[in-house]
Amino acid sequence: MSVALAFVVGGLFGLGTFLLLRRDLVRVVWGVAVVSQAANVYLISMGGVAPGTHDSVPVLAGHGEPVPETTDPLVQALVLTAIVISFGTTAFALALTYRAYEENETMDVQEWQ
Amino acid sequence: MTDQLVAAPMLVVLTTIVALLGLRRWPRVQRSASVGGGLAYALAVGAVAWSVVLAPDAPGAAAYQVGGWVAPFGVTLVVDALSAFMLAIAAAVGLSAAVFSVLYVDRANQRVFYHVLFHCLLLGVTGAFLTGDLFNLFVWFEVMLLASYVFVAFYGGPEHTAAGFRYLVLNVVGSALLLLSVGGLYAVTGTLNMADVSRRMAAPGAYGVDPAPAVGLAALALVTFGLKAGLVPFQFWVPGAYRSAPLPVTAMLAGVTKKVGMYAIVRVYFTVFGGATVGPSIAGVAGSSPLSFLAPVLLAMGIASILVGGVGAVVRDTIEETLAYSSVAQIGFVAVPVGLAAAAPPGSLRRLGLAAALVYALHHALAKPLLFLATAAIRSATGTNRLADLGGLGGRAPVLSACFFLASLSLVGIPPLTGFFGKFLVFDAAARRFATAPGPLGAIVLIALLAGAVLTILYTTRIWTASFWGERTPAVEDAGVDPRQTAVLAALALAIVGVGIWFDPVFEFAGAAADAALDREGYVDLVAPTGGEDA
Repeated sequence: MSVALAFVVGGLFGLGTFLLLRRDLVRVVWGVAVVSQAANVYLISMGGVAPGTHDSVPVLAGHGEPVPETTDPLVQALVLTAIVISFGTTAFALALTYRAYEENETMDVQEWQ
Repeated sequence: MTDQLVAAPMLVVLTTIVALLGLRRWPRVQRSASVGGGLAYALAVGAVAWSVVLAPDAPGAAAYQVGGWVAPFGVTLVVDALSAFMLAIAAAVGLSAAVFSVLYVDRANQRVFYHVLFHCLLLGVTGAFLTGDLFNLFVWFEVMLLASYVFVAFYGGPEHTAAGFRYLVLNVVGSALLLLSVGGLYAVTGTLNMADVSRRMAAPGAYGVDPAPAVGLAALALVTFGLKAGLVPFQFWVPGAYRSAPLPVTAMLAGVTKKVGMYAIVRVYFTVFGGATVGPSIAGVAGSSPLSFLAPVLLAMGIASILVGGVGAVVRDTIEETLAYSSVAQIGFVAVPVGLAAAAPPGSLRRLGLAAALVYALHHALAKPLLFLATAAIRSATGTNRLADLGGLGGRAPVLSACFFLASLSLVGIPPLTGFFGKFLVFDAAARRFATAPGPLGAIVLIALLAGAVLTILYTTRIWTASFWGERTPAVEDAGVDPRQTAVLAALALAIVGVGIWFDPVFEFAGAAADAALDREGYVDLVAPTGGEDA
């Protein structure tokens, strides 16, 4: 599981970096989105999966059910904040892209004055 | 009572932001509210600094557990002398920039959320100085960044869009790295509260923590903090962003948000990782703590910043570009003593290094915003900032020129101005380091500092002779200087002289701030993360 996640995070960072270095501005925005999501995937995998107890999942205690393996809820709360922030940043980057297109009439970064 | 007061600066800015949003339809009222908000912020910071740190019977530090959630589960806000010192810097620059914005930015532009965003920037800065939680630090960084993204792209035009886009992309990568660092630290220590991380890192055995990844994780955070501070090799965004943002905001960016990066380095490395030891040694570095890793890296970054910024500043053709490169160089002067403090063994030299960095940060936060605001005043009077189009301003606008001259002298380091003490303490720390541990490294630091000082003289002289002396150009002949703008500049200039003349209390404050940064155990006791034992 951890190895798979490590490969996913590494792959996402590689893809994000590749996209960030493109000349096409929209690809760069994709890169922005992918890099921030890669960080989010990393963050959520840092919580880890542990054998559950009735202390960690109190809602199951009343039922007397066996508790399955659970993840750490804190990182999920953290990643929500991070997702909202990266959403806002990506939206702003898209708006800037449109403005850059209107001003330069090209999406190619190298043709900017 | 003191504990609740900790949240006051943040609450004041939040209230101001809400009020400004509500007052959008009455621009005149909104402008006054923005200035009033800046004033209220300065008063709140003054009250916090006085009651927590400066008053004779002050406790020295206070913590507020937001929402009554005890540490380490809730977010803790902490004011110690270090936070109070940085908040005082933010308040001084914030107030003068808020007043100047009203006088300088044209009315139509002020109506498009300018003031709201300005206070959002101030909110992000305040949060970053107050928070005692690593993830919360990331969030406040983002608050600060989102406001500054908009400011860098504030004016239309391809140049500004390009600068804004570069700034955004660099900072997205920086934020991702900080998130990696925070997430990794959480996985290693199982907590995000700075005091709790510090406690667990200092006694890894007792908490079942493996401190080995700490150096790498701290290095990831260092990249982001260096990016915020604009240290070489992360300085690429500085000139473009400073040129594009409205000049009062540039004053904020240079005066305050850069210092947030330096503050974060000091807080995270000295307070959070101060007690950590990681295994026998780190590859290529003598010593075995994150601090011994920080020392050579930060010294190299600081020296490179001094040289790159200084050389870059000498050849620019507009005032604000020269100043932008100059602020890269000046932040190097803040980074070098921090690096020296990290290299020194715990004791008086380490304390001196941090105090020197803080005094230099204060000096730069007074002089550089004054210079940027004076540049703004020159632009609104003459319509240009190109050195080639200016000349003879000295006779045309004597008070404005006097303020600019004073700030330049402070930057160069002439007594009795604040800049003299900043430079003096930085050189003092470097010389003492050289005396206690003679070697090529100490000599390189001293030579780089000297070269930086000479370069500072060069580029300030260049601006001065090109725009204030000589024949009056047509642009200068028709200039109409706004006396209200000059009044703001004069107030800042008086602050530079005042801090220089009554330097003793300021130095004591800086010393207390350095002690607070080094007093790791005091910080842990203050926040008292008791609930984390069984987590």
